[in-house]
Amino acid sequence: MTDLIFSLAILAGILVVVMYLTLLERKFASRLQSRIGPQRVGWPFGYLQPVADALKLLVKEDVIPSVADPKVFNLAPIVVLLPVLLVFAVIPYGEDFVLADLNIGVLYILAISSLTLIGIFMAAWSSKNKYAVLSGMRAVNQMISYEVPLVLACLVPVILAGSMNLTDIVAFQNKVWFIFYPVLGQLSFLVFLISALAEANRMPFDITEAESELVAGFMVEYSGMKFAFFYLAEYAHLLAVSFVAAILFFGGWGGPILPSGVWLASKVLFLFLFILWIRWSLVRVRLDQILAFSWKVLFPLSLVTLLLAGIWKVW
Amino acid sequence: MNWMKEAWEVTRSMGQSMSVVFRNFLRKPTTISYPYVKRELPDRQRATFALLVDKETGEEKCTACLICQNICPSQVISMVKEQKNNRGFAKEFTLDLGGCIFCELCVQACPQDAITMIKLWENSQIDREKLVLKKEALLANQKYQSSEIIGSKIRDMQAPPKAPPKPAE
Repeated sequence: MTDLIFSLAILAGILVVVMYLTLLERKFASRLQSRIGPQRVGWPFGYLQPVADALKLLVKEDVIPSVADPKVFNLAPIVVLLPVLLVFAVIPYGEDFVLADLNIGVLYILAISSLTLIGIFMAAWSSKNKYAVLSGMRAVNQMISYEVPLVLACLVPVILAGSMNLTDIVAFQNKVWFIFYPVLGQLSFLVFLISALAEANRMPFDITEAESELVAGFMVEYSGMKFAFFYLAEYAHLLAVSFVAAILFFGGWGGPILPSGVWLASKVLFLFLFILWIRWSLVRVRLDQILAFSWKVLFPLSLVTLLLAGIWKVW
Repeated sequence: MNWMKEAWEVTRSMGQSMSVVFRNFLRKPTTISYPYVKRELPDRQRATFALLVDKETGEEKCTACLICQNICPSQVISMVKEQKNNRGFAKEFTLDLGGCIFCELCVQACPQDAITMIKLWENSQIDREKLVLKKEALLANQKYQSSEIIGSKIRDMQAPPKAPPKPAE
């Protein structure tokens, strides 16, 4: 019973946080462009803006194209959102504050977060729209190419800590965070960050929803609350990436003086803002460039980091 | 070593653009939150019109010479002339702001410096009829800040007055 309440509380908390992450992104992006951002709805920081957005999307008309496959079309947003939310089940939010302390936490996260691809392709295929189908094919290309370096980069902390349990990995970093391991830490974090950004369809790898060429990509036919589901999934994915990066490379909740939850939250916030900063400064990469970069640069690089990790461990 | 050069170029340009964006973050936002803060208008703001009254005699400057009516490209000015005290008066003077293109030609052409443009710029109306300015409204507009441009002044700016001829010796 307590588990149920606990998991519901985490679910609600994550959804509210994700809602406000959209506001954070808008405020931060506008500051990066020397604007102010949302301000009027909830004076003076626009703190009611996410509520207004949600209300607007709730009362909008829900359009299903006449040529679309309605069952798949309606199922796709849920299939996209659900795996991303499931990732948060195994994340340790602080010392002794974890819902499911799985032995294979890293494997679980990698496996379940790549399920979103199926949802994206379902959305793209069932819309029967040329932009959506193009975007779906791009998404499949990109995900398959970046899954490999992502997994290999995640293996480096696993090898060093000798465990796939996220709590154990954090406990192992109690003295030195993995990011501070000379060469090895930085390289594997770089590979992890780039491939995680590609996994989350984030700038500069957002060719799946490239606004200027594919309108909105796979979600071009969606409106109202289903559209909001895709957005929630995108931001939740980003939050999950920040969490996993903070746990695998930045020592999770470890840190002096302050309580463990505060340390984790500040690391996650820092990583999230860093990802936003990347998004608003770099330009979109072409599809062939993305694939070439993945197979010719990231894949060998991740193998090298894996080798270095093995040597480090044995030595 | 071609790929090394390329990799360096990519890294450098990425760092450059990210640093530019970050410098923007440190800057003060340039947004002016409009209804609460109003920006300062330029001296020659063209917004709406006013008819002027001679400060010494208290009489209207406009003599209804019809020059502004004739020069107006969008033909929004119309007036009815009236003869009184050995000079013309505009009995009716209407200016349709809805059709005005704010070219300022009427101000430039006015030989009596009677019409001017003022800085009252929040002119949007729900009813189109309210955009048609009658003579009373134009005269009442005098109290607002003028854009300091009247006919004679602007003609001086375009063709500076010639230096007075040297006195004959």
